[in-house]
Amino acid sequence: MSAKPQSQYCRDAQKGMGSPRLQASLHSLQNRFGKGAMTLWAEMDDQDMRRRVKQSRMKNLDHLDILLAELAKKVRARGGHVHFAENAQDAIDYTLEVARKNEVKRVVKGKSMLSMEIAIDSALQEAGMEVVETDLGEYIIQLADDKPSHIIAPCIHMDRSRIGELFTEKLGINYTDDPPSLTAAARKALREKLLSADMGLTGCNLACAATGHISLVSNEGNIRMATTMPPVHVALMGMERIVATLDEHRETVQLLTRGAALQKLSTYVSFVGGPSTSDDPDGPKEFHLVIIDNGRSKILADPEFREVLACIRCGACLNICPVYGRIGGHAYNSPYCGPIGAVITPLLDGINKHADLCKGETLCGACKDICPVQIDLPRMLAGLRQKLAYGSDRWNTKQHNPLEAYAFTLWRQVVSWSPLYRTGLKIARLCQRPFVGKNSMIKRMAGLASGWTDGRDLPPIAKKTFTEIWQKKHATAEVKLPMATKEDNNA
Amino acid sequence: MHNQTTFLSAIRTALGETPNIERSKSTFPKLFAAPDTAETLKKIRSRTVTERNELVKILLHNGNTLNISSHIVESLPEAADLVVELIRSTEPEFNYTKHVIMHDHPDIAALELWKRFNREAVTLHTTFSRDRQITDKTIASFIGITAPTIGVADSATVIQLTEPGRPRSTSLLPSLHIALLRRENIVADLAEAYALLRQKSHLDSFVFISGPSKTADIEAHMVYGAHGPRELHLIVLAEPELEK
Repeated sequence: MSAKPQSQYCRDAQKGMGSPRLQASLHSLQNRFGKGAMTLWAEMDDQDMRRRVKQSRMKNLDHLDILLAELAKKVRARGGHVHFAENAQDAIDYTLEVARKNEVKRVVKGKSMLSMEIAIDSALQEAGMEVVETDLGEYIIQLADDKPSHIIAPCIHMDRSRIGELFTEKLGINYTDDPPSLTAAARKALREKLLSADMGLTGCNLACAATGHISLVSNEGNIRMATTMPPVHVALMGMERIVATLDEHRETVQLLTRGAALQKLSTYVSFVGGPSTSDDPDGPKEFHLVIIDNGRSKILADPEFREVLACIRCGACLNICPVYGRIGGHAYNSPYCGPIGAVITPLLDGINKHADLCKGETLCGACKDICPVQIDLPRMLAGLRQKLAYGSDRWNTKQHNPLEAYAFTLWRQVVSWSPLYRTGLKIARLCQRPFVGKNSMIKRMAGLASGWTDGRDLPPIAKKTFTEIWQKKHATAEVKLPMATKEDNNA
Repeated sequence: MHNQTTFLSAIRTALGETPNIERSKSTFPKLFAAPDTAETLKKIRSRTVTERNELVKILLHNGNTLNISSHIVESLPEAADLVVELIRSTEPEFNYTKHVIMHDHPDIAALELWKRFNREAVTLHTTFSRDRQITDKTIASFIGITAPTIGVADSATVIQLTEPGRPRSTSLLPSLHIALLRRENIVADLAEAYALLRQKSHLDSFVFISGPSKTADIEAHMVYGAHGPRELHLIVLAEPELEK
């Protein structure tokens, strides 16, 4: 049913669909990376790898307390600090305290969606610090005071001329829309920031419990810079981003970089196990690992949704989703967009609040097919819709639309009593007449139903139902049918 | 530690375990079980020169698709010639003088680069542990030379361990990174590389490098040299006397 005054989701989605620039970018992105990943999976020698990694991800979730304790022990043994943060505020407070103790004035960031989830940037800025994103895409987004619209390609919605104008305005360079020149300008500007920062703030792609390392992937080298040059490194880690052994790491990280950008490995995979030792001339003198729950243990506790914590945040599902491919990332209004965002955002931030997300996806199943760890997102999207339809105490979710629920209860009554259903059909056939256009299609419906015809024409209700046609044409076959069914049941 | 206790209790509650009873890893031996690497290590050690040359070929081929400039040399002086040529033909990106920073490694020292620049203004630095000015020297350098511990043919990766005299920034801050890799340190794939890594008792910080720094953030247009080196030169040292 269509919403009368449009929701933010619908407005942003329409804005996305109305932007030729975004449509072209999304199309080429999906064409290349979405199709590419599917081909990659089909041609991979080790066809069992994805299932194996998924299995290890689930096993690790079942033993998460042991793995995290082991990781913390190993990191502390090397002189690193480990803080367990129950929620966003806790993580922010801890990071602020570290920054204060070290008199931090400038923070350089490696791309981290978790940092967006807990909204740490504004907290640092309010405390008087300069916060600089160093991933080129994220830097452009930050300069433009915009929001990222893809997990891997944050500024996919901006074209080169817009970026050129932005750089002229903010970096004071002569206008150019040449990507290498623009990249060079950012390289120069960010190098200064990276070399003079007091603190590096990153996420964590995958931690390894057995060796006590976090690992970070990047192509640009900004994350290596942010974890090497400043005297303090704070890494924010979602508590589920952990593997038990190096062998699991090897397989998982390869699925991550393949899913993300079809790479066997990203240009850099860096492993950090603590602060630099006294022999190291560079590397941070202090290393802080902040392990964050912020709603994840609630997801872990629900067998229906635990699987979503197996996600390795490669963003592959964005590259194939027909909905993301049209509306773009902004409509999701979350650090996590696309199909994964449609599941994780409501679970972390409220199912009612983000009701549009799971309803907006099509349940076509493409995200499950492309997922390197075969997460059944469609099942969970349907699960979220079920929570919205009936309400859920566990998820503190109210029935989304009682009227809709009432309508469906009524509908159930109607369809399960055939005389009433048939009478209803006859009335509907009469009522639809004024709406049928020249092309024998319904062009516009009235009131609440108008949403169905806003974007397309609908075929009218047929003159005869399938059952009526069948009975007329195959009256003789009618006798055989129930028998065949009976045999099937016995078999 | 207090927050750790409550945090992990919450996880145990979520998993349906007793919240206050800590689960020990010794009770779950399978959790950290890793496949035996003895066979893999034996395979790596017993490779013939022909097999190693095959790996070099694969490494170079795969590196090529990642925009790695690769060179095979038969001796250290030949490697030195290459390096000298790169130093001469490249212009500094961030300043006007030619500084080169090198890891404290016997193979790099054996290049004897200091003998090569009698009439040119090229300053060579080595990252000796005691030197407190290494960061400044690295920032000033336009070329960084390292000798990675492991090369991986399948993914065209070099693995650089952070060790005394071998800081992280040498392969990161300069515009060009030259990696000098001995043929015998090349393995077939990541499974072999990880098996070697598992052998190391002290693994503090290390990095896999598979190509020059790059970005495609502006209209998916590939640009090399985003933050790290814009060129990666891989010099494979394949000394013929080993072929006996």
